[in-house]
Amino acid sequence: MAEWPASPSVIGKRIPRLDGLLKASGKAKYPSDVHPKGLLFGAMLYSPHAHAKVKSIDTKTAEKLPGVKAVLVIAGPGTTLRYHGDDIAAVAAETEEQARDAIRAIKIEYDVLPHVVTEAQSMAEGAPEVFKGGNVKKGRGQTKGKPEDAMASAAATIEATYTVPMITHVCLETHGLTVGLEGEKKATAWASTQNVYGIAGDLAQALELDRGDVTVYTEFMGGGFGSKFNADVWGTTAAKLSKMAGGRPVKMFLDREQEHCAAGNRPSATAHIKMGADREGKIVSVIAEGHSTGGVGNGTNMILPYVYRGVPHYSVGQANALTNRGGSRAMRAPNHPQSCILTEAAVDDLAEKLGMDPLEFRLKNLDPGSPMTPIYQAEIPIGAELIGWREKRKPRGKTGTGPIRTGLGMALHTWGGGGNPGKQVSCTIHPDGSVDIKTATQDIGTGARTILAMIAAEILGLQPTEINSLIGNSSYPPGQPSGGSTTTPTMAPPCYDAVTKARDALFKKVASAFNNARPEDLSLKQGQLWAGGEPVASWKEACRKLGTSPISVTGEFVDGLSSTGVGGCQFAEVSVDLETGEVKVKKIVAIQDSGLILDLLTWESQVYGGVIMGLNYGLFEEVVMDPTSGRMLNPDMEWYKLAGASDIPEIVVRAYSPPDEKGRQVIGVGEPPTISTAAAIGNAVSNAIGVRVTEWPMSPRNVLNALATASREGRA
Amino acid sequence: MTEQKPRDPGGLGGQSRRDFLRGSGVAAATAVLTGQAAGVLDEAQAAEESTKVLSGTVEITLKVNGQERSCEVEPRSTLLDTLRNRLDVTGPKRVCDRGSCGACSAIVDGELVYSCTTLAVSCQGKTIETLESFETGEGSVPHAFHQNDGLMCGYCTPGFVTACKAYLDKHPNATEEEIRKGIDGNICRCGTYVGVLAAAKAAAQAKKGA
Amino acid sequence: MKAFEYAAPTTVDAALKLLGGPNAAALAGGTDLLGRAKDYVTSPDRVVYVKEIKELGGITGDAKSGMTLGAATPLSEIVHHSGIREAYPALWQATSEIGSIQIRNMSTVGGNLLQRPRCWYFRAGFGLLGMKDGQSLVRAGDNRYHAIFQTDGDALFVSPSSLAVALIALDASAKVRGPKGERTVKVEELYRVPRREGESELTVEPGELLTHVMIPAAGKNGAYEARQKQAQDWPLVMSAVNLTMQGDTISKARVVIYGVAPIPWRSEAAERVLVGKKFSPEVAAEAGTAAVEAARPLSMNAYKVPMTRTVVKRALIRAVQGKGYWEEG
Repeated sequence: MAEWPASPSVIGKRIPRLDGLLKASGKAKYPSDVHPKGLLFGAMLYSPHAHAKVKSIDTKTAEKLPGVKAVLVIAGPGTTLRYHGDDIAAVAAETEEQARDAIRAIKIEYDVLPHVVTEAQSMAEGAPEVFKGGNVKKGRGQTKGKPEDAMASAAATIEATYTVPMITHVCLETHGLTVGLEGEKKATAWASTQNVYGIAGDLAQALELDRGDVTVYTEFMGGGFGSKFNADVWGTTAAKLSKMAGGRPVKMFLDREQEHCAAGNRPSATAHIKMGADREGKIVSVIAEGHSTGGVGNGTNMILPYVYRGVPHYSVGQANALTNRGGSRAMRAPNHPQSCILTEAAVDDLAEKLGMDPLEFRLKNLDPGSPMTPIYQAEIPIGAELIGWREKRKPRGKTGTGPIRTGLGMALHTWGGGGNPGKQVSCTIHPDGSVDIKTATQDIGTGARTILAMIAAEILGLQPTEINSLIGNSSYPPGQPSGGSTTTPTMAPPCYDAVTKARDALFKKVASAFNNARPEDLSLKQGQLWAGGEPVASWKEACRKLGTSPISVTGEFVDGLSSTGVGGCQFAEVSVDLETGEVKVKKIVAIQDSGLILDLLTWESQVYGGVIMGLNYGLFEEVVMDPTSGRMLNPDMEWYKLAGASDIPEIVVRAYSPPDEKGRQVIGVGEPPTISTAAAIGNAVSNAIGVRVTEWPMSPRNVLNALATASREGRA
Repeated sequence: MTEQKPRDPGGLGGQSRRDFLRGSGVAAATAVLTGQAAGVLDEAQAAEESTKVLSGTVEITLKVNGQERSCEVEPRSTLLDTLRNRLDVTGPKRVCDRGSCGACSAIVDGELVYSCTTLAVSCQGKTIETLESFETGEGSVPHAFHQNDGLMCGYCTPGFVTACKAYLDKHPNATEEEIRKGIDGNICRCGTYVGVLAAAKAAAQAKKGA
Repeated sequence: MKAFEYAAPTTVDAALKLLGGPNAAALAGGTDLLGRAKDYVTSPDRVVYVKEIKELGGITGDAKSGMTLGAATPLSEIVHHSGIREAYPALWQATSEIGSIQIRNMSTVGGNLLQRPRCWYFRAGFGLLGMKDGQSLVRAGDNRYHAIFQTDGDALFVSPSSLAVALIALDASAKVRGPKGERTVKVEELYRVPRREGESELTVEPGELLTHVMIPAAGKNGAYEARQKQAQDWPLVMSAVNLTMQGDTISKARVVIYGVAPIPWRSEAAERVLVGKKFSPEVAAEAGTAAVEAARPLSMNAYKVPMTRTVVKRALIRAVQGKGYWEEG
């Protein structure tokens, strides 16, 4: 079993990312920025209808327009289009303006079919089918114990329907790539992807080439969040257009509208939940029936109850309602944010019903069989202290008399995020002292590039800036696709292995040159080679002894360096204007364990970023569909609302990392901190205004509607 | 206004601009009815002579980051697309393309604007600055973004850096609240605002210290 | 965006000549027109750039005799104008909350007043009334951002200019020049409720140019808006008010509301409550209640009713008392 150094000099420090200044000076070239010689601009034609059959398609006029070099039909006559944004055809032209004109000049006759875009439409009797075989697919159901009996004997029960809408990834760099061919045999692509290694295969297949004949670069990429693992129709289409245009490179990036409609979403989730507890405040039963839609893709796989898996009796049923919307894709902690909202809202409501402090109620109901339980037990008091739970929190609705009420809420989450064997990293030590780390992974904003350099620097006694961290190239040793918070825990071990082996090989080769030292006497620190407690040479001098032969080692996954499974809790303080329904988040506290932290600076950024994405989920985001036309009504960044600087509260982030925690090694942190924010905000809003807002996001509309309903029913 | 060379002087499918004004202009038609045709036509000609009508493809010169850069655009070409597609100035990014997100921010004649919603032809004779021209050394805004990790994927970053720089240049004593408002026209999806605000404050501090 | 020809005249006369052709559009800041053009909602054959015409720029006058705004004045100039901030807080507050710094640098007074509705059915190409096969998509669909007044008609979008709401409260007029000469109208007369598809909600005709806005001396005025985001966002609803006082008593009142009707909504009901009364927060609340009596919300926007009641009340309190009961600290 390998081990991380006990007293590291680089690991755990705050290291600014290596490519930070390139990004902050506008000099970083993203796949959408590159401009290879002879570049053509691509544009996609996509369906304006939610459901239609292509009757005819005529590209003649488009082909004759000035500047147009290639037109490709994706959906020929007879093809069924299943959502607004579905791909129909593509064009490559000399200028982007010309490409768009050509798209407009393609004549299509549609046979418009009846559609279902809302869950209600999808689930209605006799609804038009998205695919043959019915719209409603029963999902994983679970039953444990005797939930009905347990519910009947519960001292307190709640029953409510909670809803969270579909959202989209809104990658700022839309999906796409730039791709060109040399001759018929070699292709080069610059792809905005989370999977530089895998995309090469997708493109090779589309071009009928060998994988090795396709080189894909992803030096930088503008956000993926789980939606950018494949070349996709538009990517392979760009490759085909390039081939049609004699190999001239084609740049094809989606416009914002198609990005929203077709490039992935986080499915909605609605659950009708009954939850009961005994007099002591132990949850005894959960009965939940949920449904969701992920468009033409999978719905939410609801984990109910979430976190509180020790509940003795529960039954959960769920259904995926297919709709005429683009298909869902993995999005930052798939299934968890929805499950967290649904469960934590019900848990909060039940605590309220019992008249218990929801924090105490949660502590009481942690799963005794879960390894996360001691982590939550340690984290919750830290978070409570930082948010001021004891001093500030008032019982729900007893928050004062004025129009502005403040409230506190909390929620718990869990995630895996472990490493997987099978990926490789190479380390080359050159005689001039330069060090190359190579692997076909990519930095999607997490800091992966910097972390690999830090590991190498740690082992070689150098600074991270002295390491060439070479990633984002499909011809490098196979690297991890960036998903599931697995990149760092997967790539750190082979990096450690490669650099350690390279160092040992260096020692072996040069030891004799330093007073005939034995390799085992040598060590590296502070940029020096040490022999028996004395610095004997600078790093560069030591490497010079290699003569003309560099050392190159490929490392594999080794055990003992990465682990899996984290728990976290978040607290929110909000103020709500009862008269306007406006919600302002004042403070978020996030306590997150994630094992060994490699770069504290970028780790914190990940947690802040997760919280802010959760804040967007809690306050602003939703895909709005028009039931009649079947179109998405807000495929923009105007009515699809995302936080700006003035919406960001004070955010306090704490790593939960006692010494034994660090012993659990490296665990990814991309996903966990985004899970529970929206749930905590919703609970804080309910605490502030005295009634549950059952529909996310916490928009003025949903808040005022909840207040109006309560008032009508005499509850507030 | 700098020189413009209309490529397609007709620009109206064979009809000259003069025909256009004479034949179908509401001004001309109204004038005929009111018996002032001659005068109006003279004025129309005068207006035409003083105001060039651009159409088709035109060559323009833009002053970008201190350099005179010439390229061919169409009147409809946005400043953003012109910078990115024609001049290889790719710091400003296309994200929403509708003036909602700020990724395309550029400074035109000293004012922060959305280049996605600005026509390139309207920028002739003006000073266009993108972040590629900013100082990057200690005390600079890009440096502060780097040191404070005010970026993750980095795609919104050029817009934020530009907005911060433009704001701090005009408001060197801005409070955090004011800085927030100053960059409220920009959106980050990775959620880097904490680092962005730290960077902005650090840059403001450095500027004062300098 | 469809191709168009482009001209940048330096005088209003030249601009009017150039705008005289069919399907010509005046371009100022571009923040609305170019978005519409990209969405193919508006496809002009000629674009006439008017932002830099000198006679259209500038802010003149003073609080006593009133002020005049050139139509091509960028909104940022209003925000930076201390005279406006003092004399016309309603205008200043409304303007400083519009868009973002970028938007305010680019957008102009005229462009803001004459921008087209943000209704997502209109922007998706379903026309201003959002009809499909004779059915109102708005009524049957997602109308959370739509009108709550006059909803028995076909025009269910909301007028998009919060600047107009402030200017109407301030009883401002607009100078419009066209081939037929110059006319002066009240700012509220720039807007109308279209009765059929194809009819514009704006009364400025194609070929005309809004050149100036004149604001008379004002009484106690202020504005208040409710919105979802604190950063760049549109108001959900907003109100601007202007009260002429005789001693403690309100002798004249103008209450205008944004986000509730296809035109900037003048609430005569609220004004009636106010006139002749001594100002108090209770009277302001009464006016807010009166303001929404005629509201008939659509299927998804009933929330706008209490919100409207509130913004009217708060705009009044802010106008008269400065700080409000809802403000912290």
